[in-house]
Amino acid sequence: MKLLSKIIFFIFLTTSQLYADEASDWLKIEVDFILEAYKNSEISNEKRFSMIENTVSYNFAGTGIAKHVAGGAWKNASKETKEKYVKLFKKHLALNIASIMQGYANQEYSLINSKYDSKNKVSLIDMNILTNSSSITITWRVKQSKERFYIIDLLVANISLVKTKRSDFNSMLKNVNNDLKIFSELLNKKNEESYNLLIN
Amino acid sequence: MKVKKYILILIPVVFFSLPSWSLDSDKIQTNSEDFETSYNEDEIYDPLESMNRAIFNFNNVADKIILEPVAKGYRKLPSPIQSGVGNFLNNLKMPLVVINQLLQGQGGNAVETTGRFIINSTVGLLGLIDVAEKVGLEQKQEDFGQTLATWGVGDGFYIVLPIFGPSNLRDASGMMLTSITDPINAYAVTEGEGWIIPVKTATNAVNDRSKIIDEVNALRDNSLDYYAAVRSAYYQNRKAAIINDNDNTSMPLPLISIEFE
Repeated sequence: MKLLSKIIFFIFLTTSQLYADEASDWLKIEVDFILEAYKNSEISNEKRFSMIENTVSYNFAGTGIAKHVAGGAWKNASKETKEKYVKLFKKHLALNIASIMQGYANQEYSLINSKYDSKNKVSLIDMNILTNSSSITITWRVKQSKERFYIIDLLVANISLVKTKRSDFNSMLKNVNNDLKIFSELLNKKNEESYNLLIN
Repeated sequence: MKVKKYILILIPVVFFSLPSWSLDSDKIQTNSEDFETSYNEDEIYDPLESMNRAIFNFNNVADKIILEPVAKGYRKLPSPIQSGVGNFLNNLKMPLVVINQLLQGQGGNAVETTGRFIINSTVGLLGLIDVAEKVGLEQKQEDFGQTLATWGVGDGFYIVLPIFGPSNLRDASGMMLTSITDPINAYAVTEGEGWIIPVKTATNAVNDRSKIIDEVNALRDNSLDYYAAVRSAYYQNRKAAIINDNDNTSMPLPLISIEFE
C-alpha cells in the first residue's frame, strides 16, 4: 500500500513538472518573439507594436482579464458596451506588455524556474532579467485550456499586472458611477496617449 | 472577501490561425453572472486620499525632474561601480536586518545574514563586493515594518510621505524606528558627521530607483489612475515581503476565466 502511494505521488509530481516544463518551453518562444521584435531595427515602431499586439492578443486570456478588472461595472453593461470595452482592453493590455518588454529588449533573460500549481491548475514560470548590476524576476501565470496555453497574469517583482490594473480601473470606474460605457471612452483616450508615447 | 458564484460559459472554439482568431475574439458571448463582481475586495483604507494625492503629485514631479534623471545617469556608470555602491549600501543595512530577523524568530536567517555581514565587511572590502552571495549566503531583507506585521500589527491607513513615497501607518512607524536605531545614523550623529545621513538616504534612493526605471515608466505611461496603481503595487509588494514569498505561490490568484477565449 505504501509503495502504491509512493508510486502515485511520484507520477503526480512528474506529471506536474511536465506540465510546467511544457508551458515554459511555449512561453520562451513567445517572449523571444516579442524581444526579437524590439531588436529588429528594420521594422517601424508601428509595425513592431502591431506584431506585439497580435502576440499578446493571441496568448493572453484577454477577455477573462478584461472582465476581472472591470469588477462590478461589468454586470450592468450592455452587450455592445462589453464588446467595445473588451476590444479596448486588449489593446490596453498589449500597450502595457509592450511598454514593459521595451525596457528589457537589450537585457539578457533566462527562465529560471517553473512549477505547476495543481490546486489552481496554473503554471508559474519565473523569468530572470539581468541588468548591468542587478536582476529582476518576472513570474508568468500560465493556464492550459483547449490544448493550448494562455497567460492569465504577469508579476513583476511580486506585483501582479492584473491586480494593479483592477485597482487602477476600479478607481476610475468609481468616478463614472461604474458606467462601463463612459469608462471605455476614457480607456480609449488613454490607449491613444500610451500608443503615442510608445511609438514616438 | 465576498466571492459570488459564477457560471462559466463554454464556447469551444479552436483557433488555428492568428488572423482569424483576432477577428473572432471580439465576438464574445457574455452573461451577467459569469464573473465575480465584488466592488470592494480591493479597497485599501485611504482616509487621507485628497492629501495623499496632492503629496503624490508633488513626489511625481520631483521624481520626473530630479530622481529619475539622476537614476538614469547613475545607470550609465560602469557596472562594477553600480554593483559596488549597491553592495556597500546593502551591507550597511545588515545589522538592522539581523535584529529584525531575530525579532521575527528567524534564527537561521539571522545567523546567515550575520555571516554575510562578516564576510562582506572583511573579504568583500567593506561590503563593496558581495563575496557572501558567491558562497551561497543569500541576501534577505527585513525591516521594522515587516517585524510589526509579523507581530500582528495591522497596516493602518495608507499614507504618501513627502519625498519618501507610498507607505502606511505601520510601515511609516517602522521607517522611523529604522532611522532611530540605525547604527550608522547613531555613529554619524555622535561623531558630528550628520551630513552622512541625508547622503546615505539620497544614494539609497538613487540606487533603488535606478533598478526600476523601466517598470515605473511602464506603470506611469499606462495607468488611468497612476495614484491608485502605485497604491496597489505598494501593498502587493509589502505583502510579499511580509510573508517572505519568493516564488509567488502564495500570492492570490485572480479569478480569470479562459473558457471563452
